Amino acid sequence: MPESPPTIFVVDDDASVRDAISNLLESVGLAAQAFPSTEDFCNAPRPDAPSCLVLDVRLPGVNGLDFQEFLEKSGISIPIIFITAHGDVPMTSRAMKAGAVEFLMKPFQKEDLLAAIHQGLERDRIWREEHAQISSLRDRFEQLSSREREVMDLVVSGLINKQIGAQLGLSEVTVKIHRGRVMQKMQAASLADLVRMSDKLKPRARR
Amino acid sequence: MVSTGQIRSLLQGYAIALLSVSLVFAATLLLQRFFPYPFLFLFFGAVMASGWFGGIGPGLVSVVLSTLLVDYFFVPPFHSFAVSASAVAYFVAFVACALIAGWVGASKRKNVAALKHGLDMLEVRVSERSAELMKTQAELAHLSQVLSMGELTASIAHEINQPLTAVVTHGHACVEWLSANPPNLEKTRQTIERIIQDGTRAGAVLSRIRALFKKEAPAKDWFDMNEVIHELTVFLRDEAVRRHISIRTDLVPGLSKVKADRVQLQQVVLNLMMNGMDAVAEMTGRPKELVLSAREQDAELLVRVEDSGIGLDAETSEKIFHPFFTTKPHGIGMGLSISRSIIEAHEGHLWAVPRPSGGAIFQFTLPIQPRESDA
Repeated sequence: MPESPPTIFVVDDDASVRDAISNLLESVGLAAQAFPSTEDFCNAPRPDAPSCLVLDVRLPGVNGLDFQEFLEKSGISIPIIFITAHGDVPMTSRAMKAGAVEFLMKPFQKEDLLAAIHQGLERDRIWREEHAQISSLRDRFEQLSSREREVMDLVVSGLINKQIGAQLGLSEVTVKIHRGRVMQKMQAASLADLVRMSDKLKPRARR
Repeated sequence: MVSTGQIRSLLQGYAIALLSVSLVFAATLLLQRFFPYPFLFLFFGAVMASGWFGGIGPGLVSVVLSTLLVDYFFVPPFHSFAVSASAVAYFVAFVACALIAGWVGASKRKNVAALKHGLDMLEVRVSERSAELMKTQAELAHLSQVLSMGELTASIAHEINQPLTAVVTHGHACVEWLSANPPNLEKTRQTIERIIQDGTRAGAVLSRIRALFKKEAPAKDWFDMNEVIHELTVFLRDEAVRRHISIRTDLVPGLSKVKADRVQLQQVVLNLMMNGMDAVAEMTGRPKELVLSAREQDAELLVRVEDSGIGLDAETSEKIFHPFFTTKPHGIGMGLSISRSIIEAHEGHLWAVPRPSGGAIFQFTLPIQPRESDA
């Protein structure tokens, strides 16, 4: 799959800082989009490409840390690099616990910012890959009939055909046929493969 | 639980019952000689008094005693506990009246006691509340002092840090543009122009701050330093009492007035006083005291804030005026440095010396107007 070039979003209410970060990113060949507020960032369209967000903690109206929470709750996942002029330990630990990539003190060094951005992009890339995989798995799972789903649930929980038949009130032969179809529709090469897929399909919190 | 005080008041009640009934009995015996009928009304007075002073118990005791005495001495047949048929109604009426008198007395007492209890509770609550208020007020005084300085430094830091961040970041970008092959000179030029802008902006922030402390002294007015000191001692009195610190003033009446920003000078003196109170806080073995004085000396006003606290050595007595230097666990280290800026903006001096009897003296001078031109 050919990948679109990554985009780095910058949100800082100070025009000169915003400008400077965009300039630095441009000078190392990274595409940057800068916004004066979180609202502007939310309203802007986001390209289908790996991205990360360089976010000032102190913003008019909303606190950067609160915005991080807001994104998490809204199901928008984007790696965040915080920048602040006056960070303290509780602030840093809150941001890092909530999954921030890095917490940088202004003025920061180029190497630190770029390293954090690359780490953020890498994290997003991996997540996007996983996400794509899961959505294709989900598509396959959608194609299963409800009976086939029941059979799949019992198969991955470790039951043998005879037990499944007894539990669902089916003959062993019928179970075998359903099972074959499940394997085929899910494109599972083996039982272990199917177990892994079912594991991934389970809804779970993203790190 | 019954305390000894309660037992004593209970005994007192019964003693009053006995005493009053005996007195009334004696009086009735005496009065009997002058009246054709027994004069029994006095007993109601004794019963009521017993109920009033002793409550329900002594009231009942005096009713029983009165009844027995009246029955034995004044109701026919005399000198016998028997009651003749003709005197039954009379006797019953007496007992009923005595009971009512006792009840009225006791219930009156109960009401008064309840009222008194209510008043006491109210007083306790009022004093608790006012203690809370005083504490809050003192905390507020301290907080507003710390906060204003904390906010000031935070906002200075932020204002300077933003352009500084931009300069550093642009600088990094500049290096990148120049190391490109071929070097991107147009981008380099643009970036350097922005660096100049941001550097100029940082300078502007600094000169604004300098103006805040030095040049700008708009509210200069003539006023009496004694008044400022007096106001502040009143303001901090409760806080001082709470911390067991005594504040004394040694003021000379009729001081020449000074021309200065009253609010700023209030802040300086308040800051020195708060520092002094913090310094004596950990002292033991010496009385915790703060002495404020103001006098004229060599055409200058000299204001001193002395404390009996931990004191200063020669080295720290200068360091403490440096910004961000602090000896307090939660201090910011701006109070004295700002105070010195304020005093110097008024063409005065602020310095500290050890106090001979232990502790420290913070003092400042202000130029004063000669007396004759005092207008």
